Amino acid sequence: MPWASKDTLERIKHSFRQINIDIQPHFVCINVEDTKDITNILKHLKDVEDFRYFIDFHVIDFPKEKDRFLGQYILVNPYTFERLAVKVWFKNNKLPTAKEIFAGAKWAEREAYDMFGVEFEGHEDVKRMFMWEDYKYFPLRKDFPLGGIPEQKLPSLTEVLEGNTMPPSHDYDIMHTYVPTIKEIEKTEKSRITKRGQLVLNWGPLHPGTHGTMWFLFDLEGEHIIQTDVILGQLHRGMEKIAENIHYFQFLPYTDRMDYLSAVCNELSYVQAVEKLANIEVPLKARYIRTMFAELQRINSHLLWLGTGALDLGALTVFLYAFREREKIMDIIEGNAGFRLTSAFLRIGGVHYDLAKGTLEVAKYFVKDFYSKLKEYHGLLTRNRIWLKRTKDVGVITQEDVYQYGLTGPVARGSGVAYDMRKIDPYAAYDLVDFDIPVGDIGDVYDRYLVRMEEMYQSARIVEQCIEALEKMPENEPYVNKKHPAVIPPKEDVFNDLEDMVKSFRIVVHGENMPKGEVYSSGENPRGELGFYIYSIGKSSPYRLRIRSCSFYNLSVFPKVIEKHTISDAVALLGSIDPVVGETDR
Amino acid sequence: MNDMIFTAIVIAVKILVVLAVTLGLGAYLTWYERKFAGHLQARRGPTVVGPFGLLQPLADGLKLMTKAPILPKGIDTKLYYMAIMMALVPAIMLFAVVPFGPSFKIMGHEVKPIVANLNIAILYVFAMGSMAAYGTLFAGWASNSKYAFIGSLRKAALIVSYEVVLGFAALSVILLAGSMNVFDIVDSQIKSGIWYIVYQPISFVLFLFCLLAESGRVPFDIQEAEAELVTGYNVEYGGMKFGIFPLAEWYLNVLALCAIATVLYFGGWSGPHIFGPFSGFIWFLVKTFGLLFFVLWVHWTLPRYQAKDVVEFAWKYLLPISIVNLVATAFFVYFKG
Repeated sequence: MPWASKDTLERIKHSFRQINIDIQPHFVCINVEDTKDITNILKHLKDVEDFRYFIDFHVIDFPKEKDRFLGQYILVNPYTFERLAVKVWFKNNKLPTAKEIFAGAKWAEREAYDMFGVEFEGHEDVKRMFMWEDYKYFPLRKDFPLGGIPEQKLPSLTEVLEGNTMPPSHDYDIMHTYVPTIKEIEKTEKSRITKRGQLVLNWGPLHPGTHGTMWFLFDLEGEHIIQTDVILGQLHRGMEKIAENIHYFQFLPYTDRMDYLSAVCNELSYVQAVEKLANIEVPLKARYIRTMFAELQRINSHLLWLGTGALDLGALTVFLYAFREREKIMDIIEGNAGFRLTSAFLRIGGVHYDLAKGTLEVAKYFVKDFYSKLKEYHGLLTRNRIWLKRTKDVGVITQEDVYQYGLTGPVARGSGVAYDMRKIDPYAAYDLVDFDIPVGDIGDVYDRYLVRMEEMYQSARIVEQCIEALEKMPENEPYVNKKHPAVIPPKEDVFNDLEDMVKSFRIVVHGENMPKGEVYSSGENPRGELGFYIYSIGKSSPYRLRIRSCSFYNLSVFPKVIEKHTISDAVALLGSIDPVVGETDR
Repeated sequence: MNDMIFTAIVIAVKILVVLAVTLGLGAYLTWYERKFAGHLQARRGPTVVGPFGLLQPLADGLKLMTKAPILPKGIDTKLYYMAIMMALVPAIMLFAVVPFGPSFKIMGHEVKPIVANLNIAILYVFAMGSMAAYGTLFAGWASNSKYAFIGSLRKAALIVSYEVVLGFAALSVILLAGSMNVFDIVDSQIKSGIWYIVYQPISFVLFLFCLLAESGRVPFDIQEAEAELVTGYNVEYGGMKFGIFPLAEWYLNVLALCAIATVLYFGGWSGPHIFGPFSGFIWFLVKTFGLLFFVLWVHWTLPRYQAKDVVEFAWKYLLPISIVNLVATAFFVYFKG
């Protein structure tokens, strides 16, 4: 059980009288009554109770309440792996900043300001995180419409020539939401960094080294970077807003499009959060299939990291060697889900399809072959002197940084923090398989490289065990728990069974109301802890869905670590942090 | 009079042959490299255009030449165009002192298969090698782009440090041969029957490092590191204007330096007479392409160094080693020879 134990809560209650403790099946939080106390409580939690691992900060909007905005911290004790949420109401739209206590809160607060327009005392010149400067609205507020506010005229040619026709000549509106001008983008760029060095290098948004539309500003003194800032948001799609406006099951394909390199893992994190909320049991077969595909996806994602990471450092051949194996995994995923990248394979309550014929055999061959391929990668890089020179003692992230910035996944494990959701809070079939968690020592690029390489090996082991277990299962074992009222029955039943068809029809059209309550649940993605916080008010769509993005927090340490290093180190460091823009921006 | 006309014709023919061969080879080296890289990376390389993709270089050339000419804003136009020439010309000029084989007789006249049989050939190689840096520098400066600028600065730092090492490395061979003339160097190797790589393995390794560095090959391709500087100094060039740079730097420069290395360390055209009258020429090409093969192999296998490491490596390790090697050679020559 990863939530804070009764004893811990008692102790905290003993120290601070003005708090309420709220215990739910999958959520434990303390409600802080007085906003002024929050700094003290956070400090106490960090220093005395050892809740020093910053996981997330987010805001929930209640337009009808007196104080409107509710802030929520999620902290973890890295020694006992207890997790605790801290809730506090904003007073007059204001909350004392936590960036002095947890450095990771800086970006989280910027995001909160960007999305809700809340302010933080002590964090005065807070900048937009995803939107541009001078943007007038706060999109995640409940009074902001889903489609945005149409205010800019973008007429079509017909309309320019003939005026407004009725019916309209095309099926989109003349009025559109506001689009930033070049001037505003430039202002955003200027506001982020004040030049101190010789020249400011724009690194991105379209640059082969950033692996996506990330925009770095490097203030350079010679080749050395003296300050950096990152401009995110080029891929911001408002996932959290979308989730509030659609049914639970409809959001599943959207999760694929966050960390698009590990779609199955994203789905798994999301699906288990909803399952916890609705209390859905998942059949054993589905659990094994999920585990197997999540691990294949992890290998897939790590292979892409290996290929591009090596490519960044000039090793051109590793890239194609990695993609050769990746193609085989893609093949297995495509054969089962029907898609290669955004697979949408899992379903709430199980998986979409039963295993395709021959999958286990192919997977078996793949894993058998993969061990020797891993050796090949090791042979190309691990003891290569140039590789060592480029990665050893470069971009060192300390344990303190890991806790402060809320880094998770291989980045945390590379620095020696054995934080892995698969072991701490086993989900799917992770409690039934045997695997190890590799941890690094110094926390440099090389350690993260070794951790990821070892993780691939462990994933292959897990896949092997899953295949073994799945082979023993009888063929007609259920792969969806269709007895539960919130689960859509599998397609083949829908076509053949009236009852199932009606049920499918009902859920798809109206959605199924979920019980009231809160859930924070996370899964171990290839890039770190991907958490979903769901605030349900008993409707068929969440009142608030917060995505705790691992890439976002992992990236937040970049400006600090890269200072006084060269551009070449920046490439190596960014490659080893391995952020995916779809997830940082959401 | 007759003699003079004959000499003029011979020189004109030599220049034409060298130009045609080097430019043609330069283009076909792209095919060679792509094929090589393909097979190294479990791919097949170009296969579509012509048999074995042999017409690929022509297709590439055609594509590059038919691209719309785009000039970026705020460039220094004169320098911008001059950079292209400054990159290409020294690379071709290097071939002027490459001896492609032993001298032979046509109509009673002795003809040496070299465009300019200079008595300071090796010095000339250094000079042209340094000149090539101007192409990069001008390109970086004239492009009005930060990436290109940083790339060209890196190249300048690299050339400055590796030219020195190159000089000291080649100097020890010159000491052994007692001449800077390429024919004399090869002849002295043939006479003693031992290639200089046996006497000078360290100097050869140093020369190889410099070769990789001067021609911007991995692990020293810091000036065009894609992930850092997009493609570095030539980022603002397009079409054939762009095509010239890799042609000059990656192919012609490498080929010429490989040929020089063959002359210095592998006895030039020396080898058993098993290919009939063209034996010498074939041996020379085999050795040169063998070296080239090695360069490509390194290029497609290793990661790259950082800019500061590359320069540090040259000044801190390569230069002292080369000087020690030179002094040792000098003693050797003084006491033995």
